[in-house]
Amino acid sequence: MSLHTRMVNEDGVVTIRLAGEVDSRSAHRLNELIIEAAAASPSRLVLLTEELTYLSSAGLRCLVFAHQKMGPGVEIVLVGTRPDVAETIRMTGFDRSVIMQDAVDQ
Amino acid sequence: MMDRRLRASGPGAFTRDIANLVADLAREAGLAEHDAYRLRLAADEITTNIAMHGYRGRCGMVEISGGVEDDWVWLLVVDEAPPFDPTHWSPSPRRAGDPVDGPVGGHGLFLALRSLDGFTYEYVAGRNRNMLWLRRSTADRSVGPRDSPVPNMGPARGGGG
Repeated sequence: MSLHTRMVNEDGVVTIRLAGEVDSRSAHRLNELIIEAAAASPSRLVLLTEELTYLSSAGLRCLVFAHQKMGPGVEIVLVGTRPDVAETIRMTGFDRSVIMQDAVDQ
Repeated sequence: MMDRRLRASGPGAFTRDIANLVADLAREAGLAEHDAYRLRLAADEITTNIAMHGYRGRCGMVEISGGVEDDWVWLLVVDEAPPFDPTHWSPSPRRAGDPVDGPVGGHGLFLALRSLDGFTYEYVAGRNRNMLWLRRSTADRSVGPRDSPVPNMGPARGGGG
């Protein structure tokens, strides 16, 4: 399954919905979106990951890239991450660098 | 037992083939979704590492075979890149600090070895032989053949975890 994305910029918050798989073939697509998001200088980057079914180390590198592009003051929030994907993030310690939550803040 | 011979170049060259092969093997073995996921992740990371660092993005061959043996599922990944033993690679420097402050890469082999229940490596006749082992969850063992060929190497804990 390939990666499908949708990005929205609203009130200083950039939200990217990810559906499918982030691996070494599709990671460049997410990196392109991160560059586009960073150009908007958001206060927060939200990744909606309920439909993200696979994340390899190439996807983890996207999270590192997001941190580097956004800068230290920008929160990166992952919402609704599936257990297998969340385990990959936790195994490598990236859960300490992002906020992982079950649902979008109201 | 199933065999695939892949020839490709560049990062992600084997990703789709690996996903399909592991899906077939997972069906044959009756693997739980979580077990199939971690076997795919390990195989994806091992072969991506071969493509990117072993063959350095140039065209190269990877042979993959897989099977089911009692409560174990195995994948044998063979390549002709220069010798490289993943169990001798240490993720410690990258794991010591905040992951976003360190080098961007280097997590793939760590993920691969942590996702498996066993991993063995040997270099034979000019080829790297990576054997990946996954123990089937108790609930999965009622499904799948019992007469798969028995590999020569026994299950052993990987060195990267």
